[in-house]
Amino acid sequence: MNPQLPNTLQQQCFYNPNDHMFANHSALVKPDPGMDEYWAGLHAGAFCDDQLGYGYMNPNPVAQPVETDQALFLQGNSSSVSASVSPKKRKSQSLQVVSDKEKKTKGCSEGDSRITHDQNSNSKEASNNTSSKDKSKVSEVQKPDYIHVRARRGQATDSHSLAERVRREKISERMKYLQDLVPGCNKITGKAGMLDEIINYVQSLQKQVEFLSMKLATVNPELDFNIDNAFAKEIFQCSTSEFPALGCSSTNSAYFQLNSMDQGGVSYCGLDMGINAAEMGLRRSISAPISIPDQTFLDSSCYNQMQPSGVWDGDIQNLYRMEYEQETLIPFQSHQFTGSNEGINMKTET
Amino acid sequence: MYTSSMLKKEFLNKWIKGLQICCSSKNKMDLMERKKKIKLSADIAMASANKTATSWSNALISEAKKNKQDTILVSQLLGSKSPLKLQKSTNMIISIHKRVQCKKILKRSCFNAGKRMMKKKKKNLGISRSNFATTIAKRLVKKRTKVLKRLVPGGESMDEVSLIKEAMDYILSLKVQVDVMRSVVAAAEVLIDDKLLKLVE
Repeated sequence: MNPQLPNTLQQQCFYNPNDHMFANHSALVKPDPGMDEYWAGLHAGAFCDDQLGYGYMNPNPVAQPVETDQALFLQGNSSSVSASVSPKKRKSQSLQVVSDKEKKTKGCSEGDSRITHDQNSNSKEASNNTSSKDKSKVSEVQKPDYIHVRARRGQATDSHSLAERVRREKISERMKYLQDLVPGCNKITGKAGMLDEIINYVQSLQKQVEFLSMKLATVNPELDFNIDNAFAKEIFQCSTSEFPALGCSSTNSAYFQLNSMDQGGVSYCGLDMGINAAEMGLRRSISAPISIPDQTFLDSSCYNQMQPSGVWDGDIQNLYRMEYEQETLIPFQSHQFTGSNEGINMKTET
Repeated sequence: MYTSSMLKKEFLNKWIKGLQICCSSKNKMDLMERKKKIKLSADIAMASANKTATSWSNALISEAKKNKQDTILVSQLLGSKSPLKLQKSTNMIISIHKRVQCKKILKRSCFNAGKRMMKKKKKNLGISRSNFATTIAKRLVKKRTKVLKRLVPGGESMDEVSLIKEAMDYILSLKVQVDVMRSVVAAAEVLIDDKLLKLVE
């Protein structure tokens, strides 16, 4: 494939002295005319690095923004490539449009990590100007339609493999996000292992939902949920705390000696954190040694009036069998009904 | 986490509404029936608590709608909240699904035809170790993506990239769901124990 770059582009391709190999590996691809409608309809800003995967030629090479020095244009058999690319893109278009909106509105941790990643990628763009490392780069061009990808040194440059590589990078990028989501995935690097962990985690979460719904069904035979409205109001009043703390205060029974537990609260949390740390080390070998201090802890607590420990044992061991219970072990250990670490932090504060 | 607590509140609201709806209909229900109703209302509340329609939520809702018994409950829960959007997205998903399946059938037939050709051509049986390892790895990954597709609702008709994204969303919302449900269960238990105590006294 002979690169047929205009002079300006050639200069820009030669910007990075170490990338002199790139001149031979540059390629251009012509956009699929049918794709233009789709691309035109999409937000420029919404598409950061991980949305667009394929390279398209910018029809106006003179108007290239600064990023062209990092950009490489893909050349290939326009019709075949675009034809093969387009159905995939069209299929994922709809999902991407949907997911883009979600990307904007969801500011949760997933979004946070993405935003930081986007910021990182933006800073990457800036730093790439000065870096001498060969990196594949997916950058956002001012015209929303095109993504420019640089071929790595010594790698094949036909658009198929480039597209493949971009796709693979997208996948690995998302795997990294998933690593943050799924607890205990930091040490695993391979795709297969990661997928395994993810599958286990999803299965355990689904089982928990089933278990909890069954529990609710047993606990509440009348299914009378009008009382819960009171809870709901209390819950909404307090934004950060977990519900049961409020529920306890509302019932106002000697049964829940929360006030007295404040002194023990610190020790509670110490034990929780200790158990948590231990549990993190013993992910798959959760067994009796951890449950024993748990039971003694239970005995020493004021919650003797609660359900017979037999039920709890069954629950606890059932849950112990599930993996990734950093959150679940805490409430069942401490009977504080905290669903997450936030609750523990709350306790330490009060 | 700001938005997760918002999500929790929304989910809780919708779930309680759903529970009230389904318990108002019948008085005597089996344990399993109750559990199913609870779970169903929780799932739908979760799916609709998302402000943006992700494909797994749409898939969940459309699956629930297919079940004739639950359609009334579902429609009541969702109310008039953009049923059109859901229909559109479900239609889209269905069409995409069909497209993907047709492609898969084609691929399989071509692959099988190509296999025979390859067997004839392949004279070199010396497979290098790295190739062997990579093929095994690829097979493992494929198996696992299949499993994941089955787990995530609506995941059958997605390619890998978007599958992972949907899985992320799904995991997040599952976490929220579990947290809320756990607290509600605990609160309910407290109430009941309270009642029992009062009875005893």
